[in-house]
Amino acid sequence: MVLTPDFDSRPVISFQHVWKTYPTGTEALRDINLVVPEGDFLFLVGPSGAGKSTMVRLLIREEKPTKGKIFVDGIELGRMKRRKLPFYRRKIGLVFQDFKLLPNLTVYENVAFALRVLGEPDRLVQSRAGEALDTVGLAGKELTYPANLSGGEQQRVAIARALVHAPRMIIADEPTGNLDPATAWEIMQLFLRINARGATVVMATHNREIVDLLRRRVVAIDAGQIARDDRSGRYHDDVSKPQIRAQ
Amino acid sequence: MMMFRNLRFALNSAWQSFWRNLAVSMAAVLSITLILILAGVNLLVGHALSQVLDGFREKVSVISINVGDGTPLSTVYAYQQQLSTDPRVASVRFITKEQALANFQADPNNAILVQQLDNNPLDAKIEVKVKTLSDVAAIDAAARQWSGVDPTNPTNYQGDFVNRMLQLSQWLGLAGVGLLAILVVVSVVIVMNTIRTAVYHRRKEIEVMKLVGATEWFVRGPFVIEGVMTGLIAASIALSLLVVAYPPAVAQFKSDIAFIPLSYDPSFIASLARDLLLGGALLGAVGSYIGVRRYVKV
Repeated sequence: MVLTPDFDSRPVISFQHVWKTYPTGTEALRDINLVVPEGDFLFLVGPSGAGKSTMVRLLIREEKPTKGKIFVDGIELGRMKRRKLPFYRRKIGLVFQDFKLLPNLTVYENVAFALRVLGEPDRLVQSRAGEALDTVGLAGKELTYPANLSGGEQQRVAIARALVHAPRMIIADEPTGNLDPATAWEIMQLFLRINARGATVVMATHNREIVDLLRRRVVAIDAGQIARDDRSGRYHDDVSKPQIRAQ
Repeated sequence: MMMFRNLRFALNSAWQSFWRNLAVSMAAVLSITLILILAGVNLLVGHALSQVLDGFREKVSVISINVGDGTPLSTVYAYQQQLSTDPRVASVRFITKEQALANFQADPNNAILVQQLDNNPLDAKIEVKVKTLSDVAAIDAAARQWSGVDPTNPTNYQGDFVNRMLQLSQWLGLAGVGLLAILVVVSVVIVMNTIRTAVYHRRKEIEVMKLVGATEWFVRGPFVIEGVMTGLIAASIALSLLVVAYPPAVAQFKSDIAFIPLSYDPSFIASLARDLLLGGALLGAVGSYIGVRRYVKV
């Protein structure tokens, strides 16, 4: 087994022969090997049910692999103690398709929430939450409730919440799935800026235009396996033959 | 410092969510109140029973040793001395024949009988108060061996009655504890389910807390505090209802069944308050702790 990353930086994520079979018998992932170096920007693409979401769930340790090992920042997720899990989650920023904002909290409170949970002092919470809202362009909307925001604005709040504790890694699951193309593009700009500051970004997406335009690393998953891993890839490896599968 | 901030966060969010989900909170308060009223009634009845039993105990824990007419006073005093140094004995009193007669005459029920007496048929007595009821039999057995006792009528001890009383009080105590145990189990289950409903409404919040890295205790804290709050409110309601209902209930009981020595005991209210508040807080806390577990577990 040789797993040499084709990048110079140290790996932050590494999947080593990872299999995932759900209790229902569904084989979601089969022998996944993947190395993500620090500072990478990686798209996980593939048809629905291919296993992208399972990979995300494994990365945020909502699930454990059935076989194989996953290392993040030197920690083996499958062996991590349950009480260590919150501290692992604090290292990563999470963004979801459905935003996962708390409807009874204001924009500011939603962002501040991620710091309050860590027991940070008020002054720090205020300055950091303000900065994060500034970064995503929502300064001035602090007292608004999520229900009064557009989808794009809600996703910005979610991104501000994912950023506010300055994580070194962002994991996003279909962050533009509920947004129109123009808004999706604005959100992508945010992720690019976060990545440019040094954070590793792993994004599962269906958004072909964005993937094709950005030409970042693309890992295509199909039927639970890695079909393709291109350093500067497209959504489909060949526009004329979009359904090629790895054997 | 961080502990303090976390505690403040938990208190704040417990207080907020109690008022925000008032309907669910009230359902929880109501069910705990009902349970605590049942528990309180149980405690009050138990207390009344033990009051009554204590009354009986007081009576049967005193035995009179009848002194034979020919017994010299020195023998009596020596025996009295011996008894009062016995660790099982609370107090000893000597009653002369004359005092016994005077006591007998003083009772208006005996008025007609007294007129027919021409000499004193009563024995002098040593009245022994025994500390614990279970030792009375041993004291009685020893007294019957004493040389100065009246052989025809040695003591007024009724062993059978005392034993039955002892058994009865044990059974009643056991039944009270059993009833309380059943109540506790039933109430924890009810409270747990009520609180689980409350938690279900907030599962999204819990999910987000977990995703941003809240520890299990940080997630649980507000729910447990809210449970304690709920329990304390319920206990206060139950307590006020019981305090209001207690004196008239005793009065009614007394007028219906006069021969049982039951009385209103205000000093019991303090211990009832302590038990109910403590019970309510604990019930709310345990119910919340278990109720929230399913959603906190990863």
